[in-house]
Amino acid sequence: MKKKNLPLKEIFLEDERFRISYYFSLEKLILSIQKVGLLNPPLVALRDKHFILVLGWKRVLACIKLSLSSIPVFVLEEEDDLKTFLAVFYENLATREFSLLEKAEILRMLKKFGEEEKSIVKHYLPLLNIPSALSNLESYLAFSQLEPEVKKAIHQKDIPFSSVKLLVGFTHQERKLLLPLLLPAGQNKLKGILEDLKEISRRNDTNPKKILSSKEILDITGSEKLSPLQKTDKVRLILRKKRYPVLSLREESFDSLLKKLRLPKTVKVKPSQFFEEENFTVNFSFENSEELKANLLKLQELSSKKEFSSIFKFK
Amino acid sequence: MTKSKYIPQKVFVEKRSFDFPLTKRILKNVGSVPSEVIDDSKELLEDIKASKDAIGAGKKYLLITRQRGEFVKPCPCTPGYLGCNYFILNIDLNCPLDCTYCILQHYLTNPLITVHVNLEDLWRQLDIFLQRKKHRAIRIGTGELGDSLALDHITENSMDLISYFRKKRNAIFELKTKTVNIKNILKIEPAPNVIIAWSLNSLRIARVEEKGAPSVEERIDAARRVSERGFRIAFHFDPIIRHPDWEEGYKEVIKKLLSTIDPARIAWISLGSLRFPPSLKGIIEERFPRTKIIYDEFVKGKDGKLRYFKPLRLELYKKIAGFIKDWGREKVPIYFCMESEGVWSEALGWIPKGKENLELYLSSPLGLSVT
Repeated sequence: MKKKNLPLKEIFLEDERFRISYYFSLEKLILSIQKVGLLNPPLVALRDKHFILVLGWKRVLACIKLSLSSIPVFVLEEEDDLKTFLAVFYENLATREFSLLEKAEILRMLKKFGEEEKSIVKHYLPLLNIPSALSNLESYLAFSQLEPEVKKAIHQKDIPFSSVKLLVGFTHQERKLLLPLLLPAGQNKLKGILEDLKEISRRNDTNPKKILSSKEILDITGSEKLSPLQKTDKVRLILRKKRYPVLSLREESFDSLLKKLRLPKTVKVKPSQFFEEENFTVNFSFENSEELKANLLKLQELSSKKEFSSIFKFK
Repeated sequence: MTKSKYIPQKVFVEKRSFDFPLTKRILKNVGSVPSEVIDDSKELLEDIKASKDAIGAGKKYLLITRQRGEFVKPCPCTPGYLGCNYFILNIDLNCPLDCTYCILQHYLTNPLITVHVNLEDLWRQLDIFLQRKKHRAIRIGTGELGDSLALDHITENSMDLISYFRKKRNAIFELKTKTVNIKNILKIEPAPNVIIAWSLNSLRIARVEEKGAPSVEERIDAARRVSERGFRIAFHFDPIIRHPDWEEGYKEVIKKLLSTIDPARIAWISLGSLRFPPSLKGIIEERFPRTKIIYDEFVKGKDGKLRYFKPLRLELYKKIAGFIKDWGREKVPIYFCMESEGVWSEALGWIPKGKENLELYLSSPLGLSVT
C-alpha cells in the first residue's frame, strides 16, 4: 500500500462500488480537518485507470466541502473487488457499529462481489450481529433495494428491523402512499400502521393500495385542515378498527358507558388490558382530605347505581 | 412430507450414542436409509440453520443422540392461567408433521427430528420421579415436544413405555398423536392407566393447516380401533381455530367422533384455542405465507402470548363444549388447556380449585391406586 498526494478531482466519485454509508453529517469532521488537518488518509484503488474511493467517503466529502485541492491517500494495490471490499468491511467492523442500512449494503456487496450465500450466512451475518439464517440475509438484501426516499426515512427515524421488514412487504407505490403517514409517527405507531395494513389486506384478500385509496382514508390524507400528525392518527384509528372490529366495538361501548356514568374528571375507571382479566381499576388523584372524601363519596354513589353494574358485563 | 409413515432422508448418529440398543433398533427399522456417525451435531445444525427453511430442512433428517438433562419435566403451562399439573417426558424432539401453528417452530432451537436413545437413564429417572410422587396421581405424557407416535414404527418406544407404565399405578401415561401409526399399540396388551390420545380439529383446519397429518376421519377411525382393543382414549381440540363456518366444522367432527366412539371409553377431551408467542407469528408468515389463521383478533394475554379476544374464545368454547356435552351424553370430562378462571366459569359453569383439583378431576375416574 503506497501513500501519495492526490488531487481531489482525480478521485472518481461516480464509482460507488465500495460505498456502504450514505447518510452522515460532515460538520464535526469539517471542524476537525480545519483545526488539525486530515490525519487519516482515505484509501483508494485503481480501476480502469481511475482512482476510485475504497474507504473514507466522509473524509473526502468533507475535504471537497473545504475546497481542498489535494489530499494524502493510501493506494491499495489489489485488483480483486471482493478482497478490496473486505478491507472496507474489516476496517469499519473494528472501529464502529453499522447501521441497519449499512449492514444491508455490506451484504449486498459481498454477494455482488461473488461471496457465496452460504458463506455470507455462516461467516458474515454473525459478525454483523445478525442471526445466521438465509431468511435474514434475504431480508437485508431486500432492504438494500428500497427506494432512496424510503432509505432516507429509515435512517432519519432510525426505523428498526421489524418495521423495515414490514415496509419491504409493500409495493413501491404503496410505500409512496404510506411514507407521508409514517414520517410524523413514532416507532410504535409506525409499526402499528404497517402491521395492521398488511394484516387487513391478507385477511381480506385485498391489496394495501386499495385500502389506502378508500374514500375514508383519502378524505383524511387529502384534508387541508389536518396536520400531518393528525392525519397519521386518524388513519391509524381507521386501520385499527378494521383490524380489530370486535375489540374496537367493545372499547367504544365501554367508553360510552363511562360517559353515561358522568364520573368526576379526576376519577378514571379502566378495564384490564384487552378486557382479558376479570377486574377493573379505579384511579383518582386528590390534593387534600376533602378531595379524597368527595371522590370516595362519588364512587360510593356511583357503585350503587344500576347503570354502574353494567360495567361488569365487560368482564 | 407425505401422509405415509415418516422415513428420514438420512440418519445421523452421534458417536457416543452408537452402542445403545435403541440406536441398533432404529437403524434396523429405517432399512436402506443412509446413516452417518458424527462426533457431535454442532456442525450439522449450523448447516441446517443456514438453509432457507431450517425448520422444514431439519425434518428430513433424524438425529440419534442422548438426553443429557432430565427426561421428565413439569409441563410449563403458562403464567396467569389455570394449569393441570401435567408432566412431560422428552424422548423425541420435533415432529415430521408440519402444522402451520406448531409451537415447536418457535420453541426448539434444534430443527432436526431427534431421538434420545439412553433409555436406561429414562427408566432410572422415571423410577425416582414416580417414587417421589407416590402419594398422588401423576399425569404424564410424551406428546409435548413431538408427536408421540409419529416415529413409533422406527423407535417402537410405545411398547416399552406402555410396559413400563402398566406397573406404575399412581401414574396416568398419555401418548398424544395426530397420526394413525398404531400398529405397535394394537400389538400390546392395554393397560388401564395408559391413555392414547388424538389431537383433532375441524376437517378444514386439518386439511389446510396440518400438513402431513392424516385426515380427521382417519384419526377417529384409528382411535376407534385402539378403543376396541381395550385402551382408554382421549382427545384434544387444540388449537381450536376460528375460520369460516367453524361452528359447523367442529360440530361435524364432534358428532362423527362421539357417534363412532363410546363416550364412556373417553378419559377426557381438552379444549384450547389458538395461542402463540408473538415471535411465532413471523415464523408462520415466512413458512406458510398463504395462511390467514394468524390475522384474526388476537390480543396479548396475561402470559404475553397472543390469544383470541376473550369474547371470541368464549363463543368458541361454549359452542364446542355444548356439542361435546350433547353428543357425549354428559359423560366425557372436559377441561381447558391454559385458560383463565373466568373462562372456565363462563364456558363450563365451574372452576377447579387450583391445579391439584383439576388433576383429581381428570385422574379419579380412572381409579388409580395412590398410597
